[in-house]
Amino acid sequence: MVTEPVGLSNNLPIKRVMPARVGDTDIAVWRSASGVVSAWLNRCPHRGMRLSHGFVRGESLACLYHGWQYGCDNKCKYIPAHPALEPPTTIQTMAYTVVEKHGVLWVSLDGTPEIPALFEKLQPVRSISFNCSNEDVLSALAETTLTCDDGQVLSASDMQSQNILILDNPQNKPKLAVLFQKSSAANVTAHLLADNSWSIDGLIRISRWCELVRRRAEIKIPDNRRNL
Amino acid sequence: MAGLERAKEDWYPIAIAGSTVDGEQLDTSLLGINITLHGDKDREISVTADGNNLPVQTRYDHVWTTFSENPRPLFDIPEADEAGRVLVPCGVVRVKCSPLRAVENFLDIAHFPFVHTDVLGAEPHTEVEPYDVKIDETIDEVIATKVKFFQPQAAKSAGDGIVTDYVYRVAAPMVSILYKTCPPKPGSQDVITLFVQPLDEETCNVWPWMALYDYENSMADMISFQQMIFVQDRSILENQLPRKLPLDPKMEIPTRADMTSIAYRRWLKRGGAIYGALTEAV
Ligand code: FES
Ligand SMILES: [Fe+2]
Repeated sequence: MVTEPVGLSNNLPIKRVMPARVGDTDIAVWRSASGVVSAWLNRCPHRGMRLSHGFVRGESLACLYHGWQYGCDNKCKYIPAHPALEPPTTIQTMAYTVVEKHGVLWVSLDGTPEIPALFEKLQPVRSISFNCSNEDVLSALAETTLTCDDGQVLSASDMQSQNILILDNPQNKPKLAVLFQKSSAANVTAHLLADNSWSIDGLIRISRWCELVRRRAEIKIPDNRRNL
Repeated sequence: MAGLERAKEDWYPIAIAGSTVDGEQLDTSLLGINITLHGDKDREISVTADGNNLPVQTRYDHVWTTFSENPRPLFDIPEADEAGRVLVPCGVVRVKCSPLRAVENFLDIAHFPFVHTDVLGAEPHTEVEPYDVKIDETIDEVIATKVKFFQPQAAKSAGDGIVTDYVYRVAAPMVSILYKTCPPKPGSQDVITLFVQPLDEETCNVWPWMALYDYENSMADMISFQQMIFVQDRSILENQLPRKLPLDPKMEIPTRADMTSIAYRRWLKRGGAIYGALTEAV
């Protein structure tokens, strides 16, 4: 099973929870008040509510539906309907391994995350959301060029895995990685990571470039949906 | 499909009575089958599936239909005919969830402080006291009694917080009726029901209906109160995974507060009412 990037570290401040997807699996990623990050199957063991809709209370994540609280050890700590009850230790969330490295949160559904070596040389730049499908974003990316500080033009090569796109310069050196996080059929978030060759101006260019990609992607609406 | 034949034996609501005009046609779906409701000259309505007429009746302010020539009888709500009650059909809410999930949520009180915060519940009043639940074999219904819960604003007509008493009936797999303390008329009970139209196994139309003793609030206020509550429930129902109701006890872990839900699931399974349910763990 591959390791997937699910978001940038700085998109998940303390006491926050966010949804993510790894392959076909819906997960919830959250950070406790003291900074511990957990990644769980996005389904409350009680009645199946998406845990990403819950809220963090100190070192626990509380489900939105009935307020059951789960700690960083994945175990249920508190059931509000029965305040005096010590919840059985068998009630626990389905947890996955999550690692925070190079400013990115990585999740593996089975075992230790294997972080692709190339990411050791990359740093997070920014995230951007698109109100359109993955395909629209990819085709807009293919039509939009980005110029490096040294004047070379980057092109998007094939997807490395189902959600990582690498932009190489002609020497095949990864200069920029785009990590896709699909939240629904009509909504995609991309996280951009760049190597250290970019100047401040270069990073600003990356930022403008992805906004241009977004403008192009979001107008790629099929004719039957276009509002004339 | 699992449970479809059994589901075809029941009556389902498809419109509010009197809401269609002459000659009007309304296409909708029931158990995954396209059906059409026809408004008629003499104000009689008919319902067809694939050109064939289906049985129709009007009851509790709704138009009901069924695919069976020999359907199970429509449940009885004797209170509906009591003088002095205001009968309030609340319209329809489309929800992307199993019709059974919608009914189960209606039977649940433990979510009030979290989902209907400061209206039907509020922290720290989260405790669910023990109550009684039984499957009544003679009338084939699930019944929960002596349910109590603290509510900051139990109904449009309630001022301050009160401990509300509830009785729940599941009168058909997709029909639930609740009786609750009626603030303006002590000793009587408001009747609030959830009639569910299964569009398919994972989508439903919910038709809440009420029979209340409320002389102060306008019909529009009562409807908007109930709709606000239901829209809050919808935000939960559309985010439960899986969308179908799991009947295998390994899938979801209940607690004592969920006795009604446990009985409901058991009753569905036993009666083969598994349209909209998952019978095996996934
Ligand atoms: S579904 Fe999460 S607490 Fe009930
Ligand atoms: Fe509710």
